[in-house]
Amino acid sequence: MALTQDIGRRVELVSMDSRFHDISIALYRQEQDDRPVFHIHSYSGLDGVSGRIDFVAHAMSVLGDVVREGLQFHFPCGARHELACRRLFLEACKVDPAAGVEPRPLSVSDRKSNADVTVVSLGEGVYRLTGDAGDDKSVERRLAIGAGLVKLGQMKWIEGDKERFAFPCGQSHDKLVGLLLLRALNVRGVEREEQMAAARGQLLAPSAQKQ
Amino acid sequence: MTVKPMNGRERVLAALRGEAVDRTPVCNPTSVATVELMDLVDAPFPDANRKPELMARLAATGYTELGFDTIMPVFSIIQESSALGCKMQWEQKDNWPTVRMREPIWVEPDDIKIPTDFLTHPDTKCVLDAIRILKKEYGNDVAIIGKTMGPWTLGYHCFGVEPFLLMSLDDPGKTKLCLDRMTKATVDFGVAQIEAGADALTLPDHATGDLVSGDYYKRFLRDLHIELVERLPVPLILHICGRTLDRMEYIAQTGMAAFHYDSKNEPAEAMDIVKERIALVGNINNPETLFAKGPEEVRQEVYRNLDAGVPLVGPECAIPLQTSIENLKEIPRAVKDWHRDHSTPN
Repeated sequence: MALTQDIGRRVELVSMDSRFHDISIALYRQEQDDRPVFHIHSYSGLDGVSGRIDFVAHAMSVLGDVVREGLQFHFPCGARHELACRRLFLEACKVDPAAGVEPRPLSVSDRKSNADVTVVSLGEGVYRLTGDAGDDKSVERRLAIGAGLVKLGQMKWIEGDKERFAFPCGQSHDKLVGLLLLRALNVRGVEREEQMAAARGQLLAPSAQKQ
Repeated sequence: MTVKPMNGRERVLAALRGEAVDRTPVCNPTSVATVELMDLVDAPFPDANRKPELMARLAATGYTELGFDTIMPVFSIIQESSALGCKMQWEQKDNWPTVRMREPIWVEPDDIKIPTDFLTHPDTKCVLDAIRILKKEYGNDVAIIGKTMGPWTLGYHCFGVEPFLLMSLDDPGKTKLCLDRMTKATVDFGVAQIEAGADALTLPDHATGDLVSGDYYKRFLRDLHIELVERLPVPLILHICGRTLDRMEYIAQTGMAAFHYDSKNEPAEAMDIVKERIALVGNINNPETLFAKGPEEVRQEVYRNLDAGVPLVGPECAIPLQTSIENLKEIPRAVKDWHRDHSTPN
């Protein structure tokens, strides 16, 4: 008899969880009453796996402000926010359990512009980036970081506005934005990381292998 | 014609013989191992490539969990190269072991020596023992497929890709001599797997579409593959990656039971070439579909093959280790649904 069950669509996978015996751990999505709900699952039977899953779910709720109901969770707005949720899961898996989990601030120091960058929540899911430097280079850099946030969070620019962007759900997700902000500083790095993860585990013919 | 219900083994072997089947078999001539299945049965890479109990346990999930009609325990393409003395990189759970082809072990035909312990080396013996375990446990229900690498692939591993290809340009005679000598490893390992209980053998020989032309296949490999069909007395499934339409005519002349073909080839076009001389199997795209898309797209590719009359369905090559289980389960589901939708009432 098969041990695997239909547990929804897998949307993200950590092949080797470096925080817990290199097990694989994944984020799954199901639709319940037309609402996307997520849950974490591992096929590993090692002792302590349920505790590990519980910790990652806890970390996601702290870092991304998702609502937990038992083993499942969802965003309070009821939207999918899948790309952001995948990033939230990946970041939650990296958290050192011994260090505890704290929400990420809405302000970071940007090395490229040598200035602090802050995301201001304007309500109803609308955000604006501000900074303590006003020179052209810093303004341009803030635009690039904003574009990174828009990409990672599947957000949208407010039409005719170069500074404000918003979640399509119309609700604020401040903790999620704080989490994404750090990654928005280097979106190319995120993309490279994703490409490398996708390439790993693909068996290549000998002629296609790097020698 | 109505065909009585078959089990997986009967279905696969009938399809490989070109006989009628109750439904199209779902067949994996290459690996369907994933990191999640490794966790499920506690048989992770690299150990599952080196310990027979783990190899058998992980391979069995292709049948017990995914619902395929075959079990294929030889996940990698490096077992015999390791036994021949190649330097290996065993990697971790989430990546494939590889041969360090930058450090070739042979340069000239006279260097080719099949070690006396070739079949008792831990990395070949592991495969033989795993097949015995699987044959005992599942051999009545499901087809056990072994794998023995063809001499062209062994040439890449043992001489290095570039030196081997250059040799084939500079001195075809010498290359043929090398291929002949390396064929002993292919045959010895294949025969040993048959004796251990393999119902059929996959024979990967990476004369791939990107580097080797159809004419090259004809010149160097067609006759050699005909010889392998004569020397290995079970159905053989030739595996070559890439776009291979330009050599399918020659492959169809070899007497192989099936050709495991890549998604770079259109199913209908491929069927037109091989006609009924050889079965086709595979074609479900790995990197774009099984790895990166969802069950709906997997189902479409399965249907495309079934609509073209492809006699066995499965992934195009060893699946990425991060492939989701739901995508793999969708293959047999889609096959069953297609047959239900296309069945004619008695």
